[in-house]
Amino acid sequence: MNSRQQILDRIRTATSGDRSRYEDLPRGYIHAGALENEARIQLMTERLREYGAEVVECAASDLPATISPQLRDSGRHRFIVPDGVPHEWLAEDFTWLRDQNLIYDEIEQCAGVMTAASAGVADSGTIILHHGPAEGRRIISLLPDFHLCILRASQIVETMPEYFARFPNPPRLATFISGPSATADIEMTRIKGVHGPRFLSVIIVRDDA
Amino acid sequence: MSGPVPISTPVMDPRLAPPFPKAALPILQNTQLRKNVAHATDVIQAKRNRLVAEKKDWQELRTSASAIRAHVLANLATYLEQFETNCTAAGGVVHWASNAAEARRIIIDILREENATEVIKIKTMTSAEIQLNPALEAAGIAAIETDLAELILQLGHDEPSHIVVPALHVNRHQVREIFARQMGLPQLPNDPEALTAAARTYLRRKFLSVPTAISGANFLIAETGSVAIVESEGNGRMCLTLPRTLITLAGIEKVLPRFADLEVMLQVLARSATGERLNPYNSLWSGVVSGDGPQRFHVVLLDNGRSEILARKVERQTLQCIRCAACLNTCPVYRQTGGHAYGSPYAGPIGAILTPQLERMRHAQSLPYASSLCGACYEVCPVKINIPEVLIDLRAQVVDQERVDSARWTDPMYLGMKAANFAFASASRFRMAQWFGRLGLRFFTGKDGWIRKLPSLGSRWTLSRDLPALPDQTFRQWWAERESKPKTGADK
Repeated sequence: MNSRQQILDRIRTATSGDRSRYEDLPRGYIHAGALENEARIQLMTERLREYGAEVVECAASDLPATISPQLRDSGRHRFIVPDGVPHEWLAEDFTWLRDQNLIYDEIEQCAGVMTAASAGVADSGTIILHHGPAEGRRIISLLPDFHLCILRASQIVETMPEYFARFPNPPRLATFISGPSATADIEMTRIKGVHGPRFLSVIIVRDDA
Repeated sequence: MSGPVPISTPVMDPRLAPPFPKAALPILQNTQLRKNVAHATDVIQAKRNRLVAEKKDWQELRTSASAIRAHVLANLATYLEQFETNCTAAGGVVHWASNAAEARRIIIDILREENATEVIKIKTMTSAEIQLNPALEAAGIAAIETDLAELILQLGHDEPSHIVVPALHVNRHQVREIFARQMGLPQLPNDPEALTAAARTYLRRKFLSVPTAISGANFLIAETGSVAIVESEGNGRMCLTLPRTLITLAGIEKVLPRFADLEVMLQVLARSATGERLNPYNSLWSGVVSGDGPQRFHVVLLDNGRSEILARKVERQTLQCIRCAACLNTCPVYRQTGGHAYGSPYAGPIGAILTPQLERMRHAQSLPYASSLCGACYEVCPVKINIPEVLIDLRAQVVDQERVDSARWTDPMYLGMKAANFAFASASRFRMAQWFGRLGLRFFTGKDGWIRKLPSLGSRWTLSRDLPALPDQTFRQWWAERESKPKTGADK
């Protein structure tokens, strides 16, 4: 008998007679948030800033004009973008590389990356990427040192359960980002930036107004 | 102040490690190590307590988390098969390993097929459990730990002492010594920022060049066949994204029914483990995704004693563990000894119950005694594992093992327990025993009201403890007197 069968048999013997239904599991925790729209965006902004992220807001029509100064303030020039990012996001005066299967070295040589996102969770200040066409492959938001993320206000929910309720069809890939890469491995001193981007900048687009 | 670390290399194989009291002794004399452990556990606990207090639905989350994990264990075969089907459909290859040796063989076979000479690793407890690194080395494959703490330990030839922050017993000066020597950076300063930057540079080359990686798993999702990894540094994302081939080693108990169950588990795990609302990075992937990440993906499902734990009613809850290490940080024993005394990668209260069971009670029998049964671990556990209950049950198993029936009438412990059993079984006998006890103890009570030295078996108790003299009145006497007194208004 192979190991698979042996293990499954042992498990079945150990659990024979156990009855436990998924539908009966207690779910008494908070599902929906209680904050008004403005307060929710405010909370998201506060949480992101606690992590040391830059946050600015802009109207949908002002997005291209907002991207430019954010990039300039970062002091970087060469940026990578996923292939699905709209053309009007690509501010002039910067070098843009569209990710069409760039090799590692090309990505590594970019100082920054700009992507869209799939969701934001205000309670924990989390940005969630499902790595669709405007969010890009996982690697492009990992190697560069600076990440500018464009998040729409309508994508921001208050609680973690609200995010899961919004996506009943699970994504094949997901990355949850709660502040820049960090470690506290040496004497519990929090150090920003170990391997992922050390700098996170977020533009919240007020498409909800 | 810095001093070399470790003073002696700790033994982390439960089959070879000395019993807990013996292993703990030199550590208790290492004041630097104790200072480091106390500092780290204080910091994490304070953060954890603050963030748990702000969460209004913490107890409801715990209740759900506990119920979800118990539900998974009751239906484990179904969920594992579901995971296997969905992971395979998504392009992954699922392997099953009955024990540590089989898991090592499967992993080494895959790596040989890949012609791997190096492999990058994300911190994984199961890898330490099956002693994978020495086996890889013997097979001519260099394992490179990429978690900062694991890197410190690997370069310093030290062993992990905590489930979440494995190098918490090492301070910045010691890290500087290790990095300066091993990375050839004699000018390296000792501030954590510079040390972290050195690790970033050192590992970046490895991430970009090594084509094979090994990870553990925080959760396997049955519904989708996905794997979830929770981390802070980004070394996990590197290992999950850059290599050509990825091998995930996961205990069979790690499965969750649905993607949405993460809404509970992620919230309780981050707060319990590092005192964060959410840890910086969570990664989730399903099999192989064309054009993104490793194009060959293997999952090794590890039993290694777990199905036997599953069969035991009281002990089963051990498998609910999500490895947050909150029980370590709060444990009065762990906070004194750190992790090395446990002689296993799983330290602290959870290690005290998990390790002997994984060893099928043939090794590490001293660990269930490495506890004062104070219950602090149970109180903080995000999945409500009643660790004291399991500890007591395991102690009973150890006693059963050690009892030699033919010799029991000459065993003072057995006789003492029998006598106690007899005395405690009836109120009048208990009263009589108390009376005799008080009389007897009077001979050993000093003028200052302390008992410092008892004869015979009792001397083992007083070897490291003083006893206060018994009070003039027993509780029962006090109670009887109080009841017989006329009630006054103030008593109400």
